[in-house]
Parts: sequence; structure tokens; C-alpha cells
Amino acid sequence: MPTSSSSSSSFSSAASSSGNRQADVFSRLASSDPEVKLKALREVKNQIIGNRTKKLSFLKLGAVPAIASALSDSECNSILVQSAAALGSFACGFEAGVQAVLDAGVFPLLLRLLTSSDEKVVDAGARSLRMIFQSNQAPKYDFLQEKNMKFLFSLLNSENENVSGLGASIIAHACGTTVQQQVLCDAGVLEKLVILLDGSLSQREACLESLATVLKNNPEAVSRFVGLEAGRYLSSVTELTKDRYPRTRLLSCLCLVVIYNTSPSYFLNMGTKSSLVTTLLELLNDHGQSGDDAALGLSSLIAEKEDLQKLAYEANAIKNIVDILKTGSELHPKRLQGLFLSLAELCSKLEDCRCSFLSLEMLDLLVNALRHKNADVRTAACICFRNAARSVKVAVLGALSNIVLDFSSPKSTFIEYGGIKQLIELSKSMDPNARCSALRALRNLMFLADNKRKELFYSEVKAQGFVSLISDPEPTVQEQALALLRNLVDGCINSIEFVFDEDGLILDTVGKQLRKSPQAHMAIQGMYVLTNVASGTELHKEAVMQQLFPQPQAESNNFMLKFLQSHESQLRSATVWTIINLISPSSPGAHDRHVKLRDEGIIPQLKNMVNDACLDVKIRIRTVLSQSMSFGDN
Amino acid sequence: MPVRVVESNAAPQVSGNDPGNRSPLPPSSLLAAGQAFSGTQNVSNQQKEEAWRVNVQIQGVDLEHGYLCGTMEALNVPMADTPVITFWEGEIVDGKNYTFYTGKWEATREDDMRHWSKFPSFAPLQGQVESDGGRQLDLSNYPYIFMRWKEQYFVNVGTDCGLTIAGFYYVCFSCSDGSISGFYYDPNSSPFQKLELKTVNEGKSGFSFSSYELQ
Repeated sequence: MPTSSSSSSSFSSAASSSGNRQADVFSRLASSDPEVKLKALREVKNQIIGNRTKKLSFLKLGAVPAIASALSDSECNSILVQSAAALGSFACGFEAGVQAVLDAGVFPLLLRLLTSSDEKVVDAGARSLRMIFQSNQAPKYDFLQEKNMKFLFSLLNSENENVSGLGASIIAHACGTTVQQQVLCDAGVLEKLVILLDGSLSQREACLESLATVLKNNPEAVSRFVGLEAGRYLSSVTELTKDRYPRTRLLSCLCLVVIYNTSPSYFLNMGTKSSLVTTLLELLNDHGQSGDDAALGLSSLIAEKEDLQKLAYEANAIKNIVDILKTGSELHPKRLQGLFLSLAELCSKLEDCRCSFLSLEMLDLLVNALRHKNADVRTAACICFRNAARSVKVAVLGALSNIVLDFSSPKSTFIEYGGIKQLIELSKSMDPNARCSALRALRNLMFLADNKRKELFYSEVKAQGFVSLISDPEPTVQEQALALLRNLVDGCINSIEFVFDEDGLILDTVGKQLRKSPQAHMAIQGMYVLTNVASGTELHKEAVMQQLFPQPQAESNNFMLKFLQSHESQLRSATVWTIINLISPSSPGAHDRHVKLRDEGIIPQLKNMVNDACLDVKIRIRTVLSQSMSFGDN
Repeated sequence: MPVRVVESNAAPQVSGNDPGNRSPLPPSSLLAAGQAFSGTQNVSNQQKEEAWRVNVQIQGVDLEHGYLCGTMEALNVPMADTPVITFWEGEIVDGKNYTFYTGKWEATREDDMRHWSKFPSFAPLQGQVESDGGRQLDLSNYPYIFMRWKEQYFVNVGTDCGLTIAGFYYVCFSCSDGSISGFYYDPNSSPFQKLELKTVNEGKSGFSFSSYELQ
């Protein structure tokens, strides 16, 4: 739009020519003439509203401290209003702006505006503070101090919608612990907040956000909220999921997700569940922040709930999400994270979902997401990959047509190569969850894998790589690494050779870990590694014996005996399978190994276990003992 | 395993299961994802004695839902150039998710009893099953697992291959040695085609186990 004045409409794009004009605005901001100052404030405010580039450019020039001093020095209400508005604008949706505003020390100044007798000043202060409270950088508010609580209630009680909205925003921002939730509930905050549900758009939205914060994971707070006027407000929130404003629809959905996840018993009605799912799915198509938040909301709603996953699947969730991912436009990391997590949840239990997901040729997108610069996106993609790879029909579908994982074609071999490489990279991540997810995905990829795929994987990870994975500080990561190794050495006899690379470094590490009294889940996987190795040749079986009873004897703590006494039947079973393989009648050294096992107290222990509570273990023990008898042992 | 098409077959009847209050069956290590079995299916008829070699691999087991699935490969099928692979899904008779009564796939209760009673290990259960469908039986400590396997589709050949998978198998698995016997039932095929399978360990001297994550 052409302007006739000298206002600097090309501030950022023509820095050299705008230098004078900037200096001009800054000198006018510092002017002692209130009229000049006011005009300059308005000018800055109007230029930066909704314009990130302008905000940044003014920020760099030090506009925030200049406006802050206008706010602190002036008695003139118009100047207070304009400077508060300008500062709020800097903070609105712009983290660097929030930082600058807080650094300039204006927070207490803005709070002081709330006590003004001029309604316009109060309003401008409240608006500005609300912008700041949308950011994580806003100062934490200590509700446990009585005077703070009083102040909060004075805000919530205010007739001014921005002030009461500010009260709600402070709660949404600052309430994080169960104790805080409890204190707020005891002080009657829920009763105050629900009044705002009938208020203006901004009050409603702030209220929904703070309700979600106060109710999250707190069944007592939820039951209190639901009990207010016999469920009237739960109905109001439910009603708001049909509101005409997308943001209101989203916030009410998120509030319901929190209530559902905290106390599912309030959601017995299938219709409510189903409409919650479909509303969130519709919101995914919103291009703004609501769409980003809806994705995470959906994943949280369907997490570990098979019935809701089914509803989402029936509502065509997979196709919807994949279509959004395929649009090609750059999506906010938060949205990507939410979309992949939702897909991961959908593929976690329902085989139909996995098949439908895999048939949509998503693999390239998934591999790209595994390389995303944002760690949350990578983790989400990794979980998704893991869950989809769990599909029992993958191999079959792959052969049926070329739609899925046809590893024989050069294209998908390339994809797989990229995928495996990326997963190995992720298995070295700083984040234990990412390591765990990556290893789980690799484990599933190695399940019944052919030699070619195993070689491909091993050539990337090598013995040293495996050793670090098995020795990871996190037991859950160790467990997955051992489970992966177990799959690697299953199958044809050549696969066992992997653990003998570099002088048996991997097998030594497995033995070392098992001797360290590991947790049962880890020990199960470790023992299955030994079982699989012991299913091989005489040499393989002897190598396993070396790990079970290492020389010198002092090093050994006979962990097998402990495992056989474990409460975990799967660990007992895995241990007995190792023994079965070691004394398999077809192998020449079986008799000698049996003697060793008997002398070490293993066979006598098994004799005590003939009536093991677990049928599977009992059957296996009887197999060992009948073999034992054939060796002449009674 | 597919059998020859005799005539076109009607759509399978769908009927509800009969879920009880029992817990699912406990895991059996040889009836687990990744385990492979090999043997024969006797497809003899009045004209000719014939048996096809069969390989089975279990791809997934979900005891909670009484479900398992896998692939079946028939090796020397006369009318096929390559081994024919099918994908099947199974119901585990656990008294929780499924009972001995099929209630679908054109199998009447009489058909069920006629087939189950061919397994010697069913004899001790027969009386109870006849009186109340086996509702009172606790199968969790029984060393045999009874199942129905239903082939769902052909993996590597088209549906026009001249073979049918319209029927299903009554299956009995022995927990102690992992052997499997089964009888194929399809009203339109030769009756009581017997399936006999044993665990295989790919030339190794022992058993080995893979797994994938089931959370």
C-alpha cells in the first residue's frame, strides 16, 4: 500500500536507505513531547503486527528497551497503552521477542498496569501479559504463595475479559505439578474457570487450556470438575467441540483427551469417543497451529487404546494422515511428530492398520523423517517404523505384489539400505528412547531375515558396534540389542558365525553381561542368544560352554542356576532351551557337556523342577532329564 | 495348503464366537512366531494315492486374542510350476476366544466332532465337549493345543491357478515335541485329508528362536 508519509515501510529490505528513518523513529521514541512519542510508538506497533521480519529487524535495532523506557517513564495513559500494546506485539508468537521483552524488565511494569484506574490501561497490560504467557519463557508463577493466589483470583474475578483471560493463561502456563493442581482446586479455581466457558471467544479458549492443565493426570480434579452442577460443564466442553472456530474446537478436544486419559470411565458413550476422533481428524487439515496441535492430540487420545485406534482406522485416519504427509509442503516439526506418533499408535496393535499403512507406499517419507533435523520427529518416525515393521503380513504382502517391502528390487534394496543405515545411526543417539526404538525396529527387520539383509546390517554395525549396544547403560536398550542379536543368529547355521567375528568379541560381551546379574527381561534375550548359538556345530556349543563356565573358575557365578530359580517362567524356559541344545543327542560332545552341567549343579537343579508351575518349562525339563537318563544319569 | 477345485464354493457363513471368562492359553515355545514345520498332506482320493510335501512357518501368535497366523507352502503340487504359498490365520481353542465349535465355514457341530475325535489327544476331552461344548474345560495345562487354521489368500500364484483354499484345517499341536497333525475340511474336497508336520531346524543340531516385539 503506498503511503504519503515518511514512515519506514521498507525497513528490513532496504537497510542502508532506511538507516535515517530508523534513527528518526528511535529519536522520536525518546522525545520529551508526548505527542511525538505516542506517534512513534503507534508507528512501530503498526509495522510489526503480524510481521516476523519487521519484528526481528526492530528487535536487532534495540526497539524493545526503548519502548520499555517509554512504559516506565510515562504517566500518560495513552503512552502506557501504546507501549504495552507494542511490547505485546513483539511477544506474540515470536520467542526472540518474548526473550527481549523479559530481558528489558517490563514484566513487573506490565503487572502494575493491571491496578490502573483506567480500564484501557488495564486492558492493554492484560493483553500484553497474555502474549507473554503463551510462551514457555514466561516466568513461573508460584500459586503456593497466598498473596499470589489472591492476585490470581482477583484476575479471574475481573469483569474485563482480557484480565480474567490472563488469569486462565497464567494457570495454563504455570500449573505443572499435582500439588499445584490440588492447591488450585482447593482454592476453587475450577468453579471460577467454568464461568469463563460461557464468556467471550478469548476467555473460552484460555479457560479450556487451563482446564486441561489443572485436570491432566489428576483423577480427583477430574471427578470434581465432572461433579460441578451434575456434569453440566463436561457437556459444555463436549458441545464446544462443534464450535465454529477451529481453535475452540481443538482446545475443547484436547481438554476432553486429558479427561479421557485421566479418567476413562466418564467416556462410556461410544458416540462421544467417535466424534472426538473425527473432530481431531478434521482438524488435522487446518494449516495453522491448530492442525499442529491436533496431530499430537490425536496420538495422545489413541495411545494404547485399541478401541479408539479401531474407531480412528474406520474413520480413515491412516489415509488422511498419509495424504497430509504426502502434500510435499514443509510441515511444522510438531505436526510431523504428532502425525508419525498417531500412525505409530494405529500400527501398534491392529494388523489391518499396518497393512493399510504399508500399502500406501510411505517408506520414502518415513526414511526421510528418520533423517529430520528435529529429534522428536526422528523418534516418532522411528516408533512408527518399528510398529509398522511388526506386521506379520509384511513378508507375505511383499511377495503378493510389489507394493510393500519387496527387497529384491533395486529400488527397495536402496531404501532398505538407507533405512537400516539410518536406524543404526539412531541406535547411537543420546536419547535412550531413540536408541531403544531404533534397535526394536532393527530387531523386527532381522526377524526371519535372509542372509543378504543380515550381511547388509552387520557390515554397517560390526562387532565393536554391537559390543557398545549390548553394553549400553540402559537395561531396556541392552534388552533390545540382545533381542536383535538373537534374531541375527537364528536361521541358517552360517548366521551363527556373526558372534565369532573378531575373536568372538560379541559372544564374550553377551557372557559378560549375563554374569552381571541382569534384569530378567535382558537375561531372557541373552539366554536366547546362547540357545541359538548352541543350536549350531560342536564348536558353537563349546563356545557357549565357555561363556557359561569360564576359566578361571573364580570369574563364574553360575548364573544359569539363578536363572533357573527365577520367577520369570520365560527366563527359566530360555535357560532350559540352552541346555537342551548343549546336550542334543546328535552332537558328539553332548555327553561331556552333560557331565559338566551335572557337576556344576545344573542337572540336579532341573530334577527339583520336574513339576515346574509353567507347563512349557515342565515339558522342556522332562526333555532334558530323559536325555540325561540316556547318558546313564539317574 | 490349497487343494484341487472340485466345484465353486459358497461364501463362508459368519457366526459369533463364544467368549468365556477363561484366561488365554500360556505360551508354548515351539508354537511361536518364527518356528518352522515340515511334513506332508495326504490328498489321496478314490482314484489315486497322493501326498504333497508341506512347509509351514508361524508368523505371529497373539494368545490374548487366541490368534495366530503363518504361511503354508505346498511343494510338489502337480498342476503348479512353483511351490504354492498361502497365508493362513488361526483360531486357538482356549475357551476364552474360541471353543471347539466352529460355527462358520460350513462346519456343523457334527462336522466338528467328527474331525476333533480323529485326534487321539482329544479322547479325554470328548465327553465334556459333547455335554457342554467344553465350556468347563481348563485347557491351560493340557499339553496339546487345538486350533483351526483357515487359509486366507494365495501369496505367489493367482486365484485362477486351479486350486482352492475354501476349506480349513482342524489342527492339534503337541507342546512336547512340536508335532502338528491336522485334517482339512471342505465339503467340496476329499474328506479327512491328513496333515502331518514336525519341527525343522535347518540342518542344525538344536532349536533356535527369533522374536519381534509384542508390547
